[in-house]
Amino acid sequence: MSTELTVLALAGLLQVAQYVAMAVPANLELGARYTLSPRDTDRMTDLSPLAARLYRALGNHFEALILFTLAVTVVTLGDRGSPATAACAWIYLAARVLYVPAYALGLAPWRSLIWSAGFLATVAMLILALI
Amino acid sequence: MLTDELSLLALYGILLALTLLAQATGALGQFGLGYLMSSRDEHRSAAGVAARLERALANSITAMVLFAPAILLLHARGAFSPDTLIAAQIFLAARIVYLPAYAFGIVGLRSLAWTVGFFASITLYVLAL
Repeated sequence: MSTELTVLALAGLLQVAQYVAMAVPANLELGARYTLSPRDTDRMTDLSPLAARLYRALGNHFEALILFTLAVTVVTLGDRGSPATAACAWIYLAARVLYVPAYALGLAPWRSLIWSAGFLATVAMLILALI
Repeated sequence: MLTDELSLLALYGILLALTLLAQATGALGQFGLGYLMSSRDEHRSAAGVAARLERALANSITAMVLFAPAILLLHARGAFSPDTLIAAQIFLAARIVYLPAYAFGIVGLRSLAWTVGFFASITLYVLAL
């Protein structure tokens, strides 16, 4: 398996870990009765600041992962893998791992800078797949 | 670059990245850099063009979720053809038109662009079958 695909699998596992890290406090705070219900009333505002940050960090990774998956797909299928695209993939993963504690601890401006590193690495992969 | 389906998919990824930057720029104008870099514990809703770009981004992601698997399928089956190329080109063109149509609130054009992009994606699935 190529480096890019390995990193994509690891990024998928990161998403799973973020899911668990968000769902455990969310269930403790909102109660299983609410989380098992169809959630017709929005109670996300009742989350503690930390759980809410983990929730937003998960949503953010969802968006980043969509773009990264696209980049890995075109690099892989287009046979454009190179040391540069592999390095970009690792930068993406490192940034997304660091993003979670940066968000949880409210580290400004580090969270935004870390986000930018992951975003730029993904865009670089897309451009490398095209040229 | 515009003559193979995988490159069109990569270009759509770049279009998504640009949409995200436009949305972030809109949010920057409305909320300021301080809020954007903070942990955003207090929720603020975007309004006007910034909110339109948020919705346009969400819609572009939904469109991608339908478009990308079609390209994967066609690639896996070795089923790329002049027809699939044209459908993919139409998809990308429609999704490019969609963004300013949404940002500037051009009623009719946005929905038309959405519909053209949607049917171009469906056509790719039909061609894959």
